[in-house]
Amino acid sequence: MLELSDVSRRYGDVIALDGVSFSVEQGQMRGLVGRNGAGKTTAMRIVLGLAEPDGGEVRLDGSPIDDAARRRIGYMPEERGLYPKMRVTDQLVFFGQLSGMSMADSRSAAGQWVERLGVADRAGDRLEELSLGNQQRVQLAAALVHGPSLLVLDEPFSGLDPVGVDVLSDVLRGEVDRGAAVVFSSHQLELIEHLCDAVTVLDKGKVVADGGIKELRTRHGGRRLRVQLEGKSTAWAEGLPGVTGVHADGDGTVLDLASDADTQAVLDAARAAGRVESFTPLTPTLAELFREVIQP
Amino acid sequence: MTETSAEPGLTPRRAVMLIIRRELSERTRQKSFLISTGVTLLIVLAIAVLPGLLGDDGPKTYDIGVVGAGGAPLAEALPRVDLGSDVRVTTRTLADRAEAERLVEDGTLDAAVDGDAVVVDEELGGELEALVQLANRDVRAQQALVAAGVSGDQARAITDPPPLRTVALDPPDRERDDRRTLVTFGVFFVFGQIFGYGFAVASSVVEEKASRVVELLLAKIRPRELLTGKIIGVGALGFGQLVLFMAVGLAAATASGSIDLPPGTAGAAVLVLGWFLLGFILYSALFAMAGAVASRVEELQNTSSPITFLIMAGYIGTVAAAGDPGGAVARVTSFFPFWAPLVMPIRMAAGEATAGEVVIVTALVLVTAVVVVRLAARIYAGGALRTRGRIKLREAMSDSART
Repeated sequence: MLELSDVSRRYGDVIALDGVSFSVEQGQMRGLVGRNGAGKTTAMRIVLGLAEPDGGEVRLDGSPIDDAARRRIGYMPEERGLYPKMRVTDQLVFFGQLSGMSMADSRSAAGQWVERLGVADRAGDRLEELSLGNQQRVQLAAALVHGPSLLVLDEPFSGLDPVGVDVLSDVLRGEVDRGAAVVFSSHQLELIEHLCDAVTVLDKGKVVADGGIKELRTRHGGRRLRVQLEGKSTAWAEGLPGVTGVHADGDGTVLDLASDADTQAVLDAARAAGRVESFTPLTPTLAELFREVIQP
Repeated sequence: MTETSAEPGLTPRRAVMLIIRRELSERTRQKSFLISTGVTLLIVLAIAVLPGLLGDDGPKTYDIGVVGAGGAPLAEALPRVDLGSDVRVTTRTLADRAEAERLVEDGTLDAAVDGDAVVVDEELGGELEALVQLANRDVRAQQALVAAGVSGDQARAITDPPPLRTVALDPPDRERDDRRTLVTFGVFFVFGQIFGYGFAVASSVVEEKASRVVELLLAKIRPRELLTGKIIGVGALGFGQLVLFMAVGLAAATASGSIDLPPGTAGAAVLVLGWFLLGFILYSALFAMAGAVASRVEELQNTSSPITFLIMAGYIGTVAAAGDPGGAVARVTSFFPFWAPLVMPIRMAAGEATAGEVVIVTALVLVTAVVVVRLAARIYAGGALRTRGRIKLREAMSDSART
């Protein structure tokens, strides 16, 4: 289990992280979202020891993280990087060994991963001879070769074609099933919503939302209503107490509500205006939630 | 997949070993490495073998004819003339002047003596002149002495006295000179290896930054371990190549008769290799810094140019030392730690360095190496992860999170 508590880091005048705390449990997949420069990469690099925090603490399985613990992490940096001229298998074996594996274990794990990721036929080629998509797969194998108990992946889905996205999703689900903790950053919010159990939203170096995705959506739910009325008029809703916005779309009228709005009063007003075909409190998508919690 | 078989016990030593192994196996598999080693070997062979083939092609032979039976004493005297150099003379008796002129003209003979005349093709000069005139003078003098009543043996003793004994006050030590020549050759290779493999360290540092693989590496091991492994791995290759060049060069030079290896050749080789190691540690650490503050291969040219100047200046000292190992330039430059690895072995081989100087200079170089390597580790730690833009040295040092 990975825990960040109150981690801060500034670069000159720029505050990259400001008291950031979140955790990733074994068997959990957590998405890290935020705009560019929100601090996602800095947080990951601090976990990997590639940057030092100015304050706060990172713990892995209960103890402050150290070099030996970090070698158990599988890491995929934002800017992909392997040796272009090194052969695929040699490369994976090398990184397996750097993670503390024996040569023999490293070899067999490398063989399994190239097989599983569909690059076995290129295992003896130099990395630079592979297509970019296949290079991405090798990069993933390099993060996984030592059977890490924690995966830290910076934008692992960027640049993948739909097939690649499916392969990576399957692999990550498999790792979580195996009991690994997985945290990755992405701008593809639908993907995170689809894959992750939990999400941490960073904005300007601060955590602005954090928790299980279902829980968050429920917590932020009830602030919007979809009402379908016979006749599709929207005039009845204008100026109702507690209603801050009214938009019509193909499926009816969506009302934005103030936090103290009385939904029963809204229902009464709707019924007074005509026959109500449906009246649904809306659960926001992750994308909507994201737009709501980050400052413009 | 594989369950966590990752042992937390990756010791620093094993981390360094893994880096060394990768450097060695990847480099020796490169075609360019094999080709350049082959080409250099050919050059080494050429340098080693050519003097044997061209320079010393055995004793010089003069073919001299003597006309008529009256020339017999001269024909006998000619091979006995001692010019102090390795000269061999063959003589033949000719029937007449016409035959003499014909054989000299077609090059069969170098000269032919007919009574009081010597027939040559163009001119009589150098050794040939000395040879013929001395032999003629001896014969005439002996004939005159015999005519005056001196016995033949006595006459010969008078005209052919034993040569003077040489008493040299400061005789040249040929073996030492030979060793010095060998060491000078060795040092030129050391220069090439330090420069070539030092630069290889720098470009390897930059390549890891440019390909961003350094981020993955430093998530596993410390910058210090990566740098150490890289320097040892690249250095071992340069060292191995140097040993190969020296072994092949010495073997070929001996086999082709270019030189006779003086006693102490093995010691001289160890001297050269030892100074290579010291020099390589110094320069590779400097080159690693140059790599750490560049983020692209193209910038390396700029960041490494001060080092290039430094080693080129050392090369000038080397040339001076090779010419005059006891001179002031050699002496002064051998005390500068960055030049000592090139100049000192020559001074030592020439017997111009006192034991005290050797100790002081070695200590100076070692201390400098420790300082430079530490500095390099800090700058490398700070610069290795900065993959964008040129990095200021001060930033690199203050930014080194962990070494």
